[in-house]
Amino acid sequence: MTEPAEVETTGRFLVLLQEDAVEEGLAELGAIAGFNPNTGAIGSDTLQVFPELGVAVVSGDPNLLGELNGAAEGPGAVQIVEPERVVHVFAAPVEEEPEAAADESVLTWGLQAVGADVSTATGKGIKIAVLDTGWENNHPDFAGRTITTKSFIAGEDVQDGHGHGTHCIGTSAGPRKPATLPGYGVAYEAEIFAGKVLSNAGSGSDGGILAGIDWAVANGCAIISMSLGADVPAGTPYSQIYETVAQRAMAKGTLIIAAAGNASTRPARIAPVGHPARCPSIIAVAAIDVNRAIASFSSGSADRIGQIDVCAPGVDVYSSFKLPEKYRRLRGTSMATPHVAGVAVLIAERTGARGFELWARLAGTALRLPLASTDIGTGLVQAP
Amino acid sequence: MTASVDQVMVSVTDGSLPQVLDDLREAGLVVDTVLEALGVVTGTAEVRAIPALQAVPGVIDVERQWRVQLPPY
Repeated sequence: MTEPAEVETTGRFLVLLQEDAVEEGLAELGAIAGFNPNTGAIGSDTLQVFPELGVAVVSGDPNLLGELNGAAEGPGAVQIVEPERVVHVFAAPVEEEPEAAADESVLTWGLQAVGADVSTATGKGIKIAVLDTGWENNHPDFAGRTITTKSFIAGEDVQDGHGHGTHCIGTSAGPRKPATLPGYGVAYEAEIFAGKVLSNAGSGSDGGILAGIDWAVANGCAIISMSLGADVPAGTPYSQIYETVAQRAMAKGTLIIAAAGNASTRPARIAPVGHPARCPSIIAVAAIDVNRAIASFSSGSADRIGQIDVCAPGVDVYSSFKLPEKYRRLRGTSMATPHVAGVAVLIAERTGARGFELWARLAGTALRLPLASTDIGTGLVQAP
Repeated sequence: MTASVDQVMVSVTDGSLPQVLDDLREAGLVVDTVLEALGVVTGTAEVRAIPALQAVPGVIDVERQWRVQLPPY
């Protein structure tokens, strides 16, 4: 793995060990770097270990990197090796007032940007699954709505102890006329399926996510919105299993839409699309701001594997949140994804399209913007 | 030191469920969930058993599960 020249490194290496096999990983490291992890090297200048994180920091000559990378690529408990970076305090950026801020007295800027305000589609009769941190059962804005819930996290019910899931459900399918304006939901009459695949701490794994997809497909959801993912190094192959799953889901009429990731630090660095959005049969969503500029964090088409398909509002997004806060403004491709999912619901309702036909209509009708296709795909999705 | 165990996911060809489950178990998979709508089985296996799982007739791919973590606000 090579790092861009401008990244300052310390000469030490960060080694990610398999979470449940730290001891084995240290033994493997010791064999390569020439120390015995059992004889006091731990904690010395040679080796630092963070067992809770499953991370070790190793010092050694530059040739060590090649050997460690070899170990990371092979099977075993050493998973990822990176040069340790020098980090600095960020100079505080000049506070920029958003110019010509949108009028959000009635609807959020995001709903206006995707044209939900001028569409007569409502999402009625269409099922949408949001796979995330769950759902705030007691949110007053959703009284009377049909919401089917299921938790795929052991030991946690579907109640959203995090807030992220409630925010995403609000954007995709929340109300247009809540007691306190603005309205913030794209497909405000859609039937909501809230699957908890991320814990209250915001973490999950493929097993739970796949179980949530299976549940959504079995229930006939036309769209799955997944504001989740894992960042990967450029060039990482996409998951063959998720690709198979996405194709099978699409053949059964379920389109999967996923966040591209927030790993970029533009303009310096554009990070690749994360897992699982980098699968070709999953729609990868980028984020733009109120000025229709690409969001600084939005991951992009940084390799030939993970490609951005469309973009949507993902900065300063107002939506529902867990109680007692009730509402919050958040940023991220996580917030752009439910805008796209909501628009997909409206197109599904209006045209009857499902699966790849729905994908084609969604991407094909997106508003072209004067931005790189590598950043925003075909453009800003538009309600029918 | 115990053998390294990993969470895995296995995709199988259409129509091979549920017969393929016995072969997967025999090859070392501790089955967690059978996702029938997707043709996917999740579970745990020793890392060294993964090639044996891959060799089971009806199996398309075997991959280790990834973990996902939302960024803090």
